[in-house]
Parts: sequence; structure tokens; C-alpha cells
Amino acid sequence: MGLKSSPDSLPPHMTSAKIVVAGGFGVGKTTLVGSVSEIPPVNTEAWMTQAAKSVDPETGATGKATTTVAMDFGRITLAEDLVLYLFGTPGQARFWPMWDDLSRGASAAVVLVDTRRLDTSFAAVNYFENDSDVPFIVAVNLFDGEQTHRLAEVRDALQLTAEVPLVACDARDRGSAVATLTAALTHTMRRTSVGTTPGVLATR
Amino acid sequence: MKGNPWVRPYVLTSGRTTTRHRLFMHTLVSVPDFDPAFADRLPPEARSLYERAGTTAESVAELSAHCGVSLGVTRVLIGDMAARGRMIINPDTYSSPYDERLLRRVIHGLKEFA
Amino acid sequence: MRRILIVGAGQAGLQLALSLLAEGYAVTVMSARTPEEIRAGRIMSTQCMFGPSLQIERERGLNLWEEQAPKIVAQRLTLADPPGTAAFGFVGRWDAYAQSVDQRVKMAGWLELFESRGGEVVYHGVMTSDLEGLSAMYDLTIIAAGKGDLVELFDRDDARSPYDRPQRALSCVYLHGDTLMPEYPEPHVRITAFPGVGELIFMPGYTNTGPCGILLWEAVPGGPLDCWDDKPSPEEHRDRTLDLMRSYAPWEYERWVDSEPTDGRCTLYGGYAPVVRRPVGRLSASSHVLGMADVVVANDPVTGQGSNNAARSADVYFRSILERGEKPFDPEWMQRTFDAYWDFAQHVCAYTNMMLGPLPEHVQGILATAAHNPAVAYRFAKGYTDPSDFRHWLMDPEKAEAFLASVADQSTAAP
Repeated sequence: MGLKSSPDSLPPHMTSAKIVVAGGFGVGKTTLVGSVSEIPPVNTEAWMTQAAKSVDPETGATGKATTTVAMDFGRITLAEDLVLYLFGTPGQARFWPMWDDLSRGASAAVVLVDTRRLDTSFAAVNYFENDSDVPFIVAVNLFDGEQTHRLAEVRDALQLTAEVPLVACDARDRGSAVATLTAALTHTMRRTSVGTTPGVLATR
Repeated sequence: MKGNPWVRPYVLTSGRTTTRHRLFMHTLVSVPDFDPAFADRLPPEARSLYERAGTTAESVAELSAHCGVSLGVTRVLIGDMAARGRMIINPDTYSSPYDERLLRRVIHGLKEFA
Repeated sequence: MRRILIVGAGQAGLQLALSLLAEGYAVTVMSARTPEEIRAGRIMSTQCMFGPSLQIERERGLNLWEEQAPKIVAQRLTLADPPGTAAFGFVGRWDAYAQSVDQRVKMAGWLELFESRGGEVVYHGVMTSDLEGLSAMYDLTIIAAGKGDLVELFDRDDARSPYDRPQRALSCVYLHGDTLMPEYPEPHVRITAFPGVGELIFMPGYTNTGPCGILLWEAVPGGPLDCWDDKPSPEEHRDRTLDLMRSYAPWEYERWVDSEPTDGRCTLYGGYAPVVRRPVGRLSASSHVLGMADVVVANDPVTGQGSNNAARSADVYFRSILERGEKPFDPEWMQRTFDAYWDFAQHVCAYTNMMLGPLPEHVQGILATAAHNPAVAYRFAKGYTDPSDFRHWLMDPEKAEAFLASVADQSTAAP
């Protein structure tokens, strides 16, 4: 049987990697994804919904309407056979099943924080510290391009352990965003090369 | 049987699909040999996914978003079509997402890209 | 071949899935996590399964850990009042043993068993938005994932839900290295009640690393045992547990002083309001899903009924699906299926909700009597294995009095 290959289809050995970008609402996740993605960040509102009560006007029966919550992802083709995906997490803690799904199989995670509202990223830090095996770093997004807090203060406020790298970045700037992503991958390499097996739990 | 003419691939595979563990959001899916006649027979959602993956290899998340098919339904349909040999779930080239060769390639690629 | 979708891979979801698969149904399970992730993940429950629940599993060939897991033969209740002092206690022995297999072990194993028997598993955390599309592909969709947002598909049944907030703050830990209680060395459940403050519940369990001890603090909110908001690490949990035991139950402290956490994810914190929900989730005029187990009936774990209810509801639903044959799984059938389960579950709810509040005087009297009357202790312990029996005595002051009178001659106390 002759192999028929369409010129458009990529070779089947094409593979993909993923980095998760987490953090609270409005900390700049979409900006970071957008500044490195080769496609406009895909907004997946349509399939991220939650139940909300509604009443059918005709029957008076209670049904479940849907309201949406945004999530986005971007894509970078790194080589003919390698694609990198960046996935932003939904902000609300109620979507934690989604967080597991997003994190599963990821090579690294970046928790983005905004020093003006650090509290919005507590849940994300907590998640990667306690409930996920994916190695993560924390990146302080400098909205005005200036560092208003010393990183040590941020580390204290977030109660980060010494082994979690903390970096500053400008999510709008491609070079800075790329540096943040590579810092996360480098951290994964360090974390997973020293005698640990991927997937084995880090004990606290 | 009511409504849905879709024959589940149980009949073909006794329920065993080979998709376990690999249908991550970022897992790439492609169509090895696009068959327009097969596409014509599919219900709208499956058809839309099949046609899109027939154009270019895309991730599960992209297929779901671009076709407007919920992620859960997308995963079921991809699993079904893969079980029938109509789609290919691209195998992981690397042993794990923490494979040092993969990490080095991604870092290198990102630096080139910046 | 009827196609059934089960969303959720816990006790109820997988028990039903495996049961239906054996009857030739085409069953798809949607699990948010893979077996490996479940095994390596956080503990989920205390899951003490009593004799009747274990029997359901045996009948379906699902008792994979029967030999490894400690066989729990009895239940001891101690009333610590004032704290630190055992006012009285008694042991009730069961007709059949109970077992507690860590759900990380059990659900991972059952998922693999389901797949190896030809069941289809889709690894996907189902969102409400998936359901209309999914349910159109199956003859019946059952929601058995009680911890996510899917429960909001099912309206709260106010008449059956007396509480609107958690009645206990919960804190659970799995430990290795506890020692036997010299006066009762056989594996048993120990409930220590601190009136107005909470309870400490212990049971022998079986986890990834072998036999272990499972401890659950049930803290009255705002009270001195409600001290887990900081979600301490396993070692910190053990240390805090020892401190609390030293002042509240020193006889327990002796058992645990050399214990170690079983693993890095052997703690669980939280609390939820007991709730009963309406069982039929309406997605559209023509599309409905059926809720099962703790999705529709969630009790506080103070009476250890959660996994037993899951097993019972899965069993009732299983029979109802079989009886339905080829007829449609319409909303009326869904409601009837739930009603059949509620016939049993209502007694569990009534008993559990009563135990969360200040104990009625006649119940205090029953417990004090049990301390010197083995017939009362026996029936009290038996009630945990089948709470529907409580309606015949403990739930009703007059019937309780009649029962106590009927067994008064078995009292060991001096007249």
C-alpha cells in the first residue's frame, strides 16, 4: 500500500511541549502569552463555563444557563518537529480540575504576580507548592517597567521556600517573557536532574 | 437507537482505546490519510474535528477551541477516531516532559525565537 | 448495548462502572486523574467500609485488598468529659469486619481493573459546559463527581437540608507506627467525643505503603480543635495532633507518640455543609443527567457513612439500570431511581445530622447505658453498619426506652 501524504500535514513524529502560566486575575498572563505566541492568543471562552441558575420562562422549571470564564493559550513553533504551547490558567480556584488538566504533562510553570495585589496569586503558588508535581518559578510582572518592591520582600510575602526561583519580568516584552520561560525550564532541569525521577512526589 | 447514528468504537476495539495518558491539552493530533467520504458520514462535531486535523496537526486544545466543540466531547471523539485508525495521536518523542533533551531543545528554540 | 457515561472515578462511579461492564453495558468513565496521579496524589477520605458495603464489593469481584487491609472488628466509643478525662466508654463488636483501603490505592486499582476489563476511560475533568454535548452521545449520563462544580447542576433540597454551613472543621492524617491498645489489641475504630468541642476518630487503614492509622479531627467551628486553617505539613499535623491528644485524650497520645506520616500528601483539610440535592440535573428540555452518591446526598463524615453511602447508591442505581432494560432513562426513571436510594439514605442523614448537634437527652442516656450493657453497645455499633436500624430505637425516645427495658437484664452494672 502506497503512503499518501498530504503536503499540509506535519510529520507524525511532530511533538509538543507545554509551559503553564498561572496567577490571579489581571496579573498579565494573557500579555505574557501574547508577547511570545506566533498566533493571536486563543481565547477559549466558549468551552469554559460554569453552572448558574436560570428559570425557564415557559415551564417555570429550573435549568442551568452558562456563564463564561476566559482562558487563553498561545503557540510557538520552535522547530519543524517541535511546538511549544503556553497555557494560561483560569483565575478562580473553583476551576482546579481545569488546573490539573492544564498542568498535566507540562515541562514547567510560571506563577505571575503583580506586587500591587500579591494576594490574587496566593492560590496559584499554593497549588504548585502542594498539589502539583510540575516545577515552578515565580515571576514578578513589572507593569510600569520598574521594580517597586524588592524581590526579597515579595519572597517573604508569598512565603516562598528558598528552592523556588523568583525573577522579575516585563510581560509585554518578548525578550523578557522568553527569559522568564527559559528560567522556568532551567529550573525544571535542575530540579529533575539531581537524582529525582519525574513524577515522584517532592516530600515537604 | 435514538438520535445519534454514531457507532461507538467499542464494537471495534472492545472498549480498548490506546489514548490513555496521552490526550493532554497540548497533545498533537493529525489525520494520516484524509478520507472525504468518511468525513461526509460523520456527525457535525466529529466532522469538524476530523476536517480540521486533516489540514494540519493541532493540539487537542486548539481543535476544541477552533471547532467550538467542548473539550470533553473533543477528547471522546478523538479517542474514538484514533481507535478506528482515522486519527493519529502523535506519540511522545521524549520519555517525559522533564526529559533533558526536550528541555534543552525548547530553551534553545526560545532563545533563537527571541 | 446501552451506552452509559459515568462522570467521576470514586467509590460510587467506579463501583457502578465495573458492575455495569460485567453485565455487558458499554461504559465510559470520565476521570479527572490517571491512576498514577491518584496514587501519588492527596488522600481523599477516611473511607471506612462496613460489612454490608464490603459484601456488595465481594459480590462484584471488586474486593482486591481484602487480604492486605486490616480487618476492623469493632467500634469503641469514649466520652471525654471534661476533656482529658474518659467519663465512660464501650466497645461494640460487629457481625462482619470493616476495612478502610486508602482511596488512592483503591480508585487507582479499580480504574486499571476497569480498563483491563474493556471499559473506556477518558481522562478529562468534566465541566458543566461539556455535559450537553456528552450526554447526547450516551443513553444515560450519571454524575458521580461530588467535589467539583458539577454538583451545582443539582438544586439543593431545602426541606431535606437542615444545615446551611459546615458543622465541623475537618482535618485528617494518615500515620505509620501507632501502637495497639493493650485492653483491646484487635483492629477497631475508636470514636472519642468531646461534648461541644468535637470528635477524634481513628481507624486502621491500608495505604500505598501498607497498613496505617487514619486519624480524623472533627472540630466544632470556632472551638479549640478548630486549629487547622494554616493547613500544616504532615509532620506539623502529627505534632499538633500529639499536643491536642495530650490534653484532650492522653490515652491516645500514648498510641501515637512514635508515629510518622505515611507520605508527603497524607493530610486533608476542609469541611462542608451537609446537603441533599435534587437528583435530576436539567441541561435542556430534552437533556438530563442523574446525580449519584455525595453529589446528591452529602453528610458530614462524623458517622463514617460517606463511602458506605456511595456503595449503597451505586448498588441501587445498578439494579435500577438493569431493571430498566431497553426503556429510556427519562427524568421520571431518574427520580424513581434516586427515591429508591433515598429510602435508605434518609436514615443516614437523620442520624448523622442528629450527631452533629447537641445530643438529645435520651441519646445521652443510651450511650451511658451502653457502657454497662453489652446488648446496647452491640446494637449501637451495628447501627453504624446499617443506620436504618436506628429508626427502630435510638431516633425515637419511646422506642429507645422500650428497647432499653427489653435488654435491662443484660446489664453488668450493680443494680
